[in-house]
Amino acid sequence: MRKRFKHKIATPQMTLNITSMTDMFTILLVFLLQNYTASQVEIDPIEGLRLPSSVSEKNPVDGVKIGVSTTELRVDKDKLLDLQSSAFKPTDIDSHDTNFLPGLFNHLQELNKKNPKLAETGKVLLQADKELSYNTLRKVMYTASMAGFPNIKMVVQVGK
Amino acid sequence: MRRGYKPPTHSSTEFELDLAPLLAVMVKLVPVLLISSAFVQLMIVETELPQVVKEAIERQNLDNNPKVEVVVEASKSQGFNIEYTENGQSKNVNIPTKNGQFDLAQLQENLKAFKQKHPDVFRMELNPDENVGYDEIVKIMDEVRQTNDKSQFKFIDPKTKKEVSTNYMFPEVVFGNMMEGS
Repeated sequence: MRKRFKHKIATPQMTLNITSMTDMFTILLVFLLQNYTASQVEIDPIEGLRLPSSVSEKNPVDGVKIGVSTTELRVDKDKLLDLQSSAFKPTDIDSHDTNFLPGLFNHLQELNKKNPKLAETGKVLLQADKELSYNTLRKVMYTASMAGFPNIKMVVQVGK
Repeated sequence: MRRGYKPPTHSSTEFELDLAPLLAVMVKLVPVLLISSAFVQLMIVETELPQVVKEAIERQNLDNNPKVEVVVEASKSQGFNIEYTENGQSKNVNIPTKNGQFDLAQLQENLKAFKQKHPDVFRMELNPDENVGYDEIVKIMDEVRQTNDKSQFKFIDPKTKKEVSTNYMFPEVVFGNMMEGS
């Protein structure tokens, strides 16, 4: 049997043009580098907490992270106290000193022992909901200063 | 003098740049930056709390000098009450609320006039009422920290003895009523 003659078809070599893709990535990279935060301090957002806006240009520093939303008070990731109608429950407040929160004080005292380096700075990063009243905040700041953390740094969102 | 013959160089040096390695680096960098980027920028507002010992030392130091103090009381019903103390003499200024809101512009105007007279004073005491919101406190602190227009205050730096100008008014805000019982 005679074999049929086959013509060799030359396959065209395809080259992918990646110039436009590189352009896109360059723009993306510049945008991300611009947004990249130089701050080493990690602040975890608390659910339902709306921070006030400020024009302050100071980067966060390391300290004990206290978060107060309209429903709860947290130190780092530990939930300590519950709030009712954006105020502390009377059972959580000291009966002799209306600004003193024994639960928070004891927890901060423990932190003092566990992490003496952090305690030496006396710094607190306070994340508080913008709807909270000064009366509620004062209790937190007062108790923190009593526990050896008098330098309160209020965490705010950038904007006006 | 005869010049040596140079062959004409017509060959155009057209070449394609290999962008593949550059793209490979970018593909790796973009996810890293995407993960570590913070799209909501957070900053801090500093406060200082009065400490009994610290204040006692400060008072002792200030006894020989004329004492200049600014105390701002913020109340939702009465607005701002500013108490200026100069050489032991106090003067009160009231800035009522405007449509139920604090008149921040008026507060800054008032403090600016005082700051022009005492450019070396950077500390201010803020006493908000219990029902004043945190958002409003931050706004007040923003307003007193520095001027919105670019007015400058000149003062002599005690260390270098040189004239320094700044648009900062009262960056050191102390909550004076922090330790008071409610």
